[in-house]
Amino acid sequence: MGKNIWWLVLSSLRKEFRKRGNILIYFGLPLAGVLISTFIYANAGQSVLRVGVVNGDGAETVAAETVRFISEMGQVKAENVTEEELATLLAAGKLDSGVVLEEGYSQSVLAGQPDHIVISSIKGAEVTAYLKALLYNYIDNMTALGRAAEGDPARYQELFEEYRNTVFKLQAETVNDKSVTKDMTYQSLGFLILFMMMSSVNLTELILKHREDRTFYRIISSPVSSRAYVISNIIVNMIVMLLQIIVTLFFLRYVFKLDPGIPITALAGLLGLFALASVGISLVIVAFSKNRGVSDSLQNLIVTPTCLLAGCFFPVEIMPVAVRRIADFMPQRWVLLAVEELQDGSGFGGIWLNLSTLFVFAIVFFLIAAYKFGHNNDTRKFI
Amino acid sequence: MNVLDIRGLSKKFGDFIAVDNMSLTVGEGEIFGFLGSNGAGKSTTINLVASLLRPSSGEINILDKNIAKHSRFAKMNLGIVPQDLAIYEDMTAFENVKFFAGLYGLRGEELKERTEEALKFVGLEDKAKSFPKNFSGGMKRRLNIACAIAHRPKLIIMDEPTVGIDPQSRIYILASVRKLNEMGCTIIYTSHYMEEVEEICSRIAIIDHGKIIADGTKEQLIATITDLKDIRIELKRGEPDLALSLKNIPGVRDVSVEDNMLRISSDMAVDNLSQILKVLIDSGADIRSVEEQEPNLETVFLTLTGRNLRD
Repeated sequence: MGKNIWWLVLSSLRKEFRKRGNILIYFGLPLAGVLISTFIYANAGQSVLRVGVVNGDGAETVAAETVRFISEMGQVKAENVTEEELATLLAAGKLDSGVVLEEGYSQSVLAGQPDHIVISSIKGAEVTAYLKALLYNYIDNMTALGRAAEGDPARYQELFEEYRNTVFKLQAETVNDKSVTKDMTYQSLGFLILFMMMSSVNLTELILKHREDRTFYRIISSPVSSRAYVISNIIVNMIVMLLQIIVTLFFLRYVFKLDPGIPITALAGLLGLFALASVGISLVIVAFSKNRGVSDSLQNLIVTPTCLLAGCFFPVEIMPVAVRRIADFMPQRWVLLAVEELQDGSGFGGIWLNLSTLFVFAIVFFLIAAYKFGHNNDTRKFI
Repeated sequence: MNVLDIRGLSKKFGDFIAVDNMSLTVGEGEIFGFLGSNGAGKSTTINLVASLLRPSSGEINILDKNIAKHSRFAKMNLGIVPQDLAIYEDMTAFENVKFFAGLYGLRGEELKERTEEALKFVGLEDKAKSFPKNFSGGMKRRLNIACAIAHRPKLIIMDEPTVGIDPQSRIYILASVRKLNEMGCTIIYTSHYMEEVEEICSRIAIIDHGKIIADGTKEQLIATITDLKDIRIELKRGEPDLALSLKNIPGVRDVSVEDNMLRISSDMAVDNLSQILKVLIDSGADIRSVEEQEPNLETVFLTLTGRNLRD
């Protein structure tokens, strides 16, 4: 039996990979998914805040120093504008935020009561928070100097010079934001899962194709049993999907240079387990289909919508709670959850529930398919 | 030795009895014709012999071994040429034969030699590297046969191997069947073309409603339905008075005249045509044509089943 299975596996693989179209479908589409993900997130996480500064306090030292401070802030591109220009540019989206230093600003700082400063944005707190956090801290320092100078501009200048030239320096470092590459990875894996499932159904459909073109009849007339034939199909399916995983992860990591935040081997192992569940789903689809037309329809009804609900195309968090609960019944959700947890630092010990659930999914699907195939064993249907 | 021995075989699908207590033997070296109209139980019997269906009762032996216990042995010695083409369109002729022969455990040089041998046998050695999608119907049928014989089976079941092909390919295939038989293969042959069965089969069985209703040589089958032959003589004009003198000829059972056509029913065993013609010539009758009709398989089939084979 083993030799015959191997013979069927090798012949099927030779046939599958002889067609260039199949290579494109099996490997090109998941890579296209990675490419799409990189485009989607291309601009995310690398934002520079465009800030318009209106200095309405003239040549006052405090105001001038504040403008200088803003222009030297990290991740900020400052631009001197008038109040009218600021309103127009903010409305046009050409500026993210605006800082208006009104007349009297410097005096208020010197007096220890900072006022006459307005920070505005039409993009909300998400944009202004960073600016406010740094700027208010700076103004607090200036105010403290003002209080120490007790309103004496010469004393203030002296203290300010000391403050500026102090040997104590704060070194700011920009931390590499990995959330974007994690999002890219997540999205890429979402596409990979979709294409793995589609490939799996297409490969399992070969059982129906061979029944329709009656080569299945000739095969089971030989010493090869129908069970050996189905096992060979499962092995071919697993080999193709494992190759899909390896090729996609290789390109993801070493060509697109995306760090998924998880060791590649761990990711491959996790997806390999999902591949098993995916073959199970395909077998169920094929077992319940009388012909390829029906299985194609079932594929359209099952694969894409479940991938959608499970969060393969966008984060599941944006969906209503009820829908999220439905997603829990889909193996795709469990593999994506496992990816998230691994990215958040969990080890394999932390995802044992996900792994067990995926394994149980695979077993249940295989059992359903085996039952249905067993009760389909009416040769008149196919011969 | 019997290559195939079927005893008390039955197969039910729910309430429907497809094969009903069938017993049949096919001896070594026979070309055995298996006739039955659509739905008679032919295909079910073939599927049971090929171990693709489990019998409801009874047993099947191939080369004296029960196929229920020795399924692998039975399948190794069996080659099936299905009625519908069972070949891969996206594999070359060579790859097709090689793939199916490989299922019987052939590998390496032996597999290559047997593949080439099978393709040569069906006359497709020049088309080994071609894809079946570019083949004519006859060539596809020949490839269908090659895929069934590369492992050198002792028993070959050919289910309608000449359906829908040109006369030249039919002649080639029938010659191939004879050649396979000469090489020692026992063949079970089903066809809707009665003349093919008459031409090549040494023994014929007729199946109807799942039962074998007749089994024997062509002559034996014909003898089961009649011992009379039909002689039709066309005259220039009707001669009603001739009937009486013709009835006196030995073997003649009945004479009827309809317009200018004489119809004589006579014992098949008595050769009396020349005497009949002499009586007619002596009486001055002007003979335009003479036709002697013996019952054929078609007649037998129609008589026994009440249907034409192609119904």
